[in-house]
Amino acid sequence: MKDSQPLLQVNDLQVSFKTDESQVRAVRGVSFDVHPGETVGLVGESGSGKSVTNLAMMGLVPKPPGRIDGGRVMYDGKDLLTLNERQMQSIRGRRIAMIFQDPMTALNPLMTVGQQLTEMTRLHLGLNKREANRKAAEMLELVGLSGAEKRLRDYPHQFSGGMRQRVMIAMALSCEPDLLIADEPTTALDVTIQAQILDLLRDLQQRRGTSIIMITHDLGVVAEVCQRVLVMYAGRVVEQADVQSLFAAPKHPYTLGLLNSLPRFDQSSHTLEAIPGQPPDLGNLPAGCSFRPRCPWAVDACANEDPRLVTMDQDRQVACLVAQETANV
Amino acid sequence: MSDSTQTEGTRAADSVTADPPLLSVQDLHVQFPFSRGSFLNPHHGVIRAVDGLSFDIREGETLALVGESGCGKSTTARAIINLVHPTSGRVRLCGTDITGLGDRAMMPHRRVVQMVFQDPFASLNPRMTVGNIIGEPLVVHRLASGKDRKLEVLRLMDLVGLNPRFLNRYPHEFSGGQRQRIGIARALAVQPKLILCDEPVSALDVSIQAQIINLMMDLQQQLGLSYLFIAHDLSVVRHIATRVGVMYLGRLAEIGEAESVYSHPTHPYTEALLSAVPVPDPVLAATRQRIRLVGEVPTPDREHVGCSFADRCPLVVDRCRVDRPPQEQVVQTSQLHTVACWERGK
Repeated sequence: MKDSQPLLQVNDLQVSFKTDESQVRAVRGVSFDVHPGETVGLVGESGSGKSVTNLAMMGLVPKPPGRIDGGRVMYDGKDLLTLNERQMQSIRGRRIAMIFQDPMTALNPLMTVGQQLTEMTRLHLGLNKREANRKAAEMLELVGLSGAEKRLRDYPHQFSGGMRQRVMIAMALSCEPDLLIADEPTTALDVTIQAQILDLLRDLQQRRGTSIIMITHDLGVVAEVCQRVLVMYAGRVVEQADVQSLFAAPKHPYTLGLLNSLPRFDQSSHTLEAIPGQPPDLGNLPAGCSFRPRCPWAVDACANEDPRLVTMDQDRQVACLVAQETANV
Repeated sequence: MSDSTQTEGTRAADSVTADPPLLSVQDLHVQFPFSRGSFLNPHHGVIRAVDGLSFDIREGETLALVGESGCGKSTTARAIINLVHPTSGRVRLCGTDITGLGDRAMMPHRRVVQMVFQDPFASLNPRMTVGNIIGEPLVVHRLASGKDRKLEVLRLMDLVGLNPRFLNRYPHEFSGGQRQRIGIARALAVQPKLILCDEPVSALDVSIQAQIINLMMDLQQQLGLSYLFIAHDLSVVRHIATRVGVMYLGRLAEIGEAESVYSHPTHPYTEALLSAVPVPDPVLAATRQRIRLVGEVPTPDREHVGCSFADRCPLVVDRCRVDRPPQEQVVQTSQLHTVACWERGK
């Protein structure tokens, strides 16, 4: 999979927001590739920059107060950050589709589900009304909504949360995109429904070969669906690895801390090792490594140097001076 | 139903202590009437949020109620302290019947049982300082005033790991985790025996969540507290609970010691629920069997004569649709572990 040309390349992406007090640097040099047919997890806590990374890639960061300070997002030979709104529209929804956390606010409550599904295909694929309706019914069938043709005439409030998320997925996939960005797609759902939606995403990916960027705070979801994971902290990627090695042997102290602070339902009680302190204020980051104030491994050098993401062994990158040193010895 | 609760009551009493349990809930029902349809042709009905629930909480233990949205777990907590009034059933606190008491009559009991809410942003008054928020219960219950009150507030802040320097700050100056500490300090101010926690950590990030869980477990050890812990996160529950009750459509599907329920889930709903939890272990995630449930939890607006899970149950037999399974059927592994299922309770 890695030998193929990447579908999407994000290179040194930087995004900041202006507030009354300061310039908040939400994304500070994020780089990663997404290969065809791959599921990449972007995991981190609130404020880690995972959602802003996604919005910036799609040209959806509100400006002002937001600002893209640098970087490139290469897709199909073009830098998405340089496209104008009109050019972007031919990619967004058509080639790269998105699903969001809250399917209730992402759907228009005044339009039937059918209208919303056909709007997409008529606009992007130029289908006529009959074709679009047939396609819409087909898509609802695909995501497992029974009685699809009747349900096209229903409004979003007539669907439950899990069903709305299925409608969102049907909408996102109806133009057969190359890449699906899923931003916390199951966070608002109950576990049994979450399991259904994750199964659906996995199944659709296998059948269609769509690449997925899965943005989530839930390491369980990452372990279930992703092949490769990027762990974000304070606007940076601190560790990148394939999913097995990340969970088996985390190399960054933050990744390790996250895994140790996670209660496990499949193990009886062990002490939770909480990460002390709070995530840093992005408007006022500590000097050096931004994880230093909470880090059990911190040494003096960490205060002076903000570690870069360095490749340690095949498929593993870590941004930690101590981890890099240990590996070199 | 009444004999089933009695059996459970007696069993609990035999095995642990002769004292009445700290909290005893018997055959609790909470219904919300609704009407829909047109003005001229209305259709009236009731939502059966809690539909015949019985359980005890003993001193020093944590009972967790788990289940998906709409299963009635939060309503149960609210009905216990009369934030909503139960339609029928009995709630006893230290042996005293407190079912449906009004605000004034409830006052002395609120010193025994307190509540911590899910949303640390909505449950703190933004116009009050932290000191006043934590001190307010002391004023309301006339427990301390003047300098004593301030000292007590400082002690409470220290107890929950808040820097006493923050006494005069406002809630918006704190992060989610710190706000939840404020909510816990406020609940502890009246020195309660029982705290009802409604999803206390579900709004928090993982690393902060662990801090609050550890704090709650420490406080329990230090102060001998009991918790009713309402949550949907089954991993958190396994960690914190002594006993677990799994709810489905206002009823208990299964209840027992945490260890027993997690290692021997017996009700088909519990099995499906546990198998749906994502595990942070890619190797295990790829190999383990998942029990897929069809459909979604229905709205609790109709009466289930038989088992409320019958429509989605993979094991359903004719009896399940007409006869409600009692909660008293003991699971082999443990005397305190019971299940409401005709097929599995045999």
